[in-house]
Amino acid sequence: MNSIKTLTIGLGVAGLLGGISSQAMAHDEEALRQAPPASPYVKVSDALPLPEFIPGLGTLFVDPDTLPAGPFLAYDREGQLSATVYMTPLAALEEGAAFNDMAVGLHPVDSVDIYYNAGHPGVDEPHAHVVLFHDSEAKARLTP
Amino acid sequence: MSLTRRRFLVMSGGIAALAALPLAIAEPEHEVEIAMLGTARGERVWFAPLGVAVAPSTRVCFVNRDPGNSHTATSYHPANFERTQRIPDAAVPFHSGFLLPGDTFEVVLDAPGVYDYYCLPHERAGMVGRIVVGTPETPGWQGAVVETVHAAATALAALPSVEQILAHGQVMPEEAA
Repeated sequence: MNSIKTLTIGLGVAGLLGGISSQAMAHDEEALRQAPPASPYVKVSDALPLPEFIPGLGTLFVDPDTLPAGPFLAYDREGQLSATVYMTPLAALEEGAAFNDMAVGLHPVDSVDIYYNAGHPGVDEPHAHVVLFHDSEAKARLTP
Repeated sequence: MSLTRRRFLVMSGGIAALAALPLAIAEPEHEVEIAMLGTARGERVWFAPLGVAVAPSTRVCFVNRDPGNSHTATSYHPANFERTQRIPDAAVPFHSGFLLPGDTFEVVLDAPGVYDYYCLPHERAGMVGRIVVGTPETPGWQGAVVETVHAAATALAALPSVEQILAHGQVMPEEAA
C-alpha cells in the first residue's frame, strides 16, 4: 500500500502525466479516502494527548516523519477523508524555513482556510493551520 | 481507553505525604475553579480567571473547558521542566499532566504567597496565570518573583499585580490590560 508520500499535489502536473500514472494516483487516493489510512499513518489522538475528534479538524492521522508540518489527514465522523491539513510554525517561517512539495490527501480541493493557532500537543508553538477542504460539505462535517 | 473525566488531588505546603489518605483530610474551607479556555480554532488560549486571590488551604480546581485542545496547569518550579521558581519556597510544585476536554485537576494550596503557573503546550502563546494565597500580612508570605528573561516573559510581565488581585478577588483576562 502506497502512502500519501507517493502522491503529489499535481496542480498542473497531473494533466501532463500519462494514463498509467493517472490510474496509479487514483488508486492511492482510494486507499486514503476512508479511515484509517494504512501505516505509516497513526491516529494523532493515539500518539498525543488530544481529543479524538477535534472540532474543525475532525479525526487526524499523520505520518510522524512529516511532523510538524504534515500533511495531516482529516476525517469526518463517518471516516471520510474531508481535508488535508498542514501546520507550519511561525518561528520557522520567520527564520526562512520553507515547506515545499508536500503531499495532499485527495486532489479535489473545494476551498482553503488559513488561520493562526496558538499551539497544541505535537506542535506546541504558535503556527499556521492550512486546511484544504476536499468537497463543499467538508467543513460542515468537521465542525459538528 | 479514553477517560472522559479524570480527577486529581495534590496536596501542597508540606502535607503532601498525606495525599495517600485523602479521605482523612479535612475539606478546605473554600474552593475555586479556574477554567482552561480557547477559541474554536485555537487562535487564543487562556486561564479564567487570570488571577485569583484565595485563603490558605483553598482547593483550586482546574477544568479544561476548551473542546478542541489539551491543557496543563503547571507551577513554575525547577522540578517542572526546569523552569524558574515562581511559587513559595514552602509550596510543593504541581503539574496536572495533559487534561483533555472535561478533565479536571485539583490542588490545595497551603503556603501563603504568589503562585505563577502555565500551560505546558501553550506557554509560548502566553497562557499563564497567578494565584495569590493569603495576603502580605499572612505569616510566611512570599511575594511575586520579578523575572525578565523567560519564554513567556511578556505574558508573565502582564500578569495582574498582587495588589490588583487582592483588591478585586479575581481578575479576568479582559480586565488585566
